[in-house]
Amino acid sequence: MEAWNEAYVRAEDYLRAHRIHNRLHSSRLIQKILERAALRHEQNPTIDPTTAVAEETETMMDRWFADVLDERGQAHERIAVDGRLALLLCDGSQKWPYAFLDEDRIPEDFAKAMRAGVIQAGPDLAISSMVPRPIDLGAIPEAAGETLERFEQWPMLRMLFLWLLFAGALGAIFNATR
Amino acid sequence: MRVFLSEQMNAKRLSRRRFLFFSTIFVLTSLATWFMADLLWRGGINGVEVLLLLLFVILFAHIAAGFCTALVGFYVINRGGDSSRISTTLPAGEDWPLASTAIVMPVFNEDVSRVFEGLRVIYRSVQETKKLEHFDFFILSDSNEPNQWIQEEVAWTELCKQVDGFGRIFYRKRRQSINKKAGNVADFLRRWGRRYRYMVVLDADSIMTGRALVQLVAMMEKNPHVGIIQTPPRIVNGETLYSRLQSFANRLYSPLFLAGLNYWQQHDGNYWGHNAIIRIQPFIDHCSLPDLPGSEPFGGRILSHDFVEAALMRRAGWAVWLASDIEGSYEEGPPTLIDSAKRDRRWCQGNMQHAWLLTTKGFRPANRFHFLMGVMGYVSSPLWLLFMLLSTIHVFSEVTSLDPVDPRAQDYTSLMGYDFKVPEAFTLFVFTMLLIFLPKVVSIVVTIGRREEVLRYGGSVRLILSAVLEVFLSALLAPVNMLFNSKFVISILLGQGVSWVTQKRGADNDGTDWREAIITHGGQTAFGLVWGISSFILSPVFFWWLSPVIIGIVFSIPVSIFLGKAEFGRRARTLGIFLTPEETFPPYELKKLQQNLAECYRHLPPFEPLRRDYGLLQAVLDPYVNAMHVALLRQRRTSAEAREWFMQLRRRLLSEGPDKFSTKEKMALLLDADSMIWLHRELWSCPASALAEWWRLAMRQYNVLTAEPNTALYR
Repeated sequence: MEAWNEAYVRAEDYLRAHRIHNRLHSSRLIQKILERAALRHEQNPTIDPTTAVAEETETMMDRWFADVLDERGQAHERIAVDGRLALLLCDGSQKWPYAFLDEDRIPEDFAKAMRAGVIQAGPDLAISSMVPRPIDLGAIPEAAGETLERFEQWPMLRMLFLWLLFAGALGAIFNATR
Repeated sequence: MRVFLSEQMNAKRLSRRRFLFFSTIFVLTSLATWFMADLLWRGGINGVEVLLLLLFVILFAHIAAGFCTALVGFYVINRGGDSSRISTTLPAGEDWPLASTAIVMPVFNEDVSRVFEGLRVIYRSVQETKKLEHFDFFILSDSNEPNQWIQEEVAWTELCKQVDGFGRIFYRKRRQSINKKAGNVADFLRRWGRRYRYMVVLDADSIMTGRALVQLVAMMEKNPHVGIIQTPPRIVNGETLYSRLQSFANRLYSPLFLAGLNYWQQHDGNYWGHNAIIRIQPFIDHCSLPDLPGSEPFGGRILSHDFVEAALMRRAGWAVWLASDIEGSYEEGPPTLIDSAKRDRRWCQGNMQHAWLLTTKGFRPANRFHFLMGVMGYVSSPLWLLFMLLSTIHVFSEVTSLDPVDPRAQDYTSLMGYDFKVPEAFTLFVFTMLLIFLPKVVSIVVTIGRREEVLRYGGSVRLILSAVLEVFLSALLAPVNMLFNSKFVISILLGQGVSWVTQKRGADNDGTDWREAIITHGGQTAFGLVWGISSFILSPVFFWWLSPVIIGIVFSIPVSIFLGKAEFGRRARTLGIFLTPEETFPPYELKKLQQNLAECYRHLPPFEPLRRDYGLLQAVLDPYVNAMHVALLRQRRTSAEAREWFMQLRRRLLSEGPDKFSTKEKMALLLDADSMIWLHRELWSCPASALAEWWRLAMRQYNVLTAEPNTALYR
């Protein structure tokens, strides 16, 4: 019984995650889902009630999305994503609070709104090539660049140079203040 | 007023302007050098004095360049404005023809609410002009924090839903952020550049009015030889005393400098990286950035791309203009002194790299001058420091000399054989101060001369009081910035990074905390104390000369905290201190932005134990966010090894929770569409016992959080 209670809570949570806040509608849906899950559990008692409930919800939703979007025969991954996205874009759960998973009656305007929802992250590509043109830095930076790159190959040389610079600065201060 | 078209540029007239500008710099520097040399020369000159003189010439020329820009600006404004402005090419009252324009906003882990509310305001403002059909909007994200990324996706979807912006507002997240902001924009250009004639580049905190955007596009259409038009963004929306101080100074003093800049640079202008319109095709053809010799921080990839892009555009023959008089271009400034220093650290590295480009073949002299000024903006700090330290050494050698000479301040001024009964050091001091402060005084006088303008600053008394306080506080901040910049320049030259203290925000979340201030400014304070005490021991007279510098450094900790408090900023605003026209009479767009943001920030932040990984939570748990996220991902083919690795990662995420996951692992999962579909399905079908406690808590809490319709543009 505890496992079925947990399954009930999971179904309720999942519907609420879809912003189905209408208790009456939610209760009807949960009842339907649980009945179908119970039938499955009878056929296969090894299956966990929570898993059975989740799978039944998924099957119901896939079928319902396929009907609403008129996109039958799609893989679960595709129809589940398309359906939820369409529902999000048309604010279906708020604007048509009783329509969600209603297998008997799909309001015409709701179906139209669901089919109209398209997400487009970018326009069609129009590829261009953008490559740096050669740049002549001039004689001094070129020579300095070559020296720097040579310095970078010999980190010890660089460190020695820095210490010499530091010692030189100390020497200069010492000399200036005497 | 005569309309001055860029293609009818009179070379002689421009040369005359530049000759006047650079000659004034030369004359002023020569005069000051004369005084300084005379001051040092009395009694012979030694090595330290030669070095001092050399440094003085470089530093004074830098100050003189700023002064001359303002002086020329005053001349232009006093004449009623420059006839040679790009904005004068737009005939008034006409329905200007426009062309397809992309408004691009590169973002990197920014405050999502601010980014998208800013975009909403810009979108609505363009809509008001009834020219929306010419504009598309792009958020180009390089965010590498899972929370930021998911929030951006949610906010983009919600914004598009709310303003009916699908198909006009686009969102692109790069999988690999190569070459930072310049690479981000280049990626946009490679994908979609050919679809548009122009792009307006914005920063995450930029606001531009629809009218300003339409004007920019119209100017480009009217001037087919122009490659870039830069607008001068005004600093707005400051809350802390520091940001309001910057905003006030920018608003009051910048008109003079902008008019002066436009006077001498004309079509050889500069690009500042944002709030500018760019002609896309020449930008694609000529402005791809080459690598510099060596590796970062001094070489390698160019960090401050904007100056270089302007120079490349000019090299290719396209004009670059500063639209100094265009209204409706805004940006925000850093809220605290430490935030400002962090930004300076990045800019410093970028500007230092420009030293490589000073002698590049084909670049225009004006662009070389921009590079030089950019380098000097930071290198001048260690030079000033060196100048003052050498002065201390000089005084030390004078004091310890067997044949002491009277302090130079008591020597009279001598010029061209005439003696004036004024101490020469004092004359030089006054001359230098004049160059630094006269532009400010002139700006105040010009503003006071305009009755309507004065009211926008809160009246003449408040304006003068604010300006006096600004001068005082700037004088305190200047030596602190000098020390910061000196540290940055030296660290870059040595190939070292600079570490920053992570803020520990208090309950009031208000500005710099004591710990951060003490750790950041502690070394500066100690340096100031040692320098001040030793100067006083050496020569009290010299100490008093040095005291304006020492005071700022010694009191850097309390000053930094004081200026970083929003509470003091608000109080000052109530008292009418540092008021700007954008505060007293805010434009509709800024007012609307503030209202929208206040609405956003009213939302409660996510539940504390879930906050750190809330983005991942939403992407896995929320059916809508999951679907939207997956829809925005590109499907990839992965190897069998990668699939196995992903499967282990997914299982670990559900059974252990995200606490032990690195950002890289979370990002890998978020980037994999198959993993996101699998995780959503498994999470909701697993018995609770198979899930980590974190996920069980997430499921319980998420329903509480989503009890109300999700308006998404929350923090």
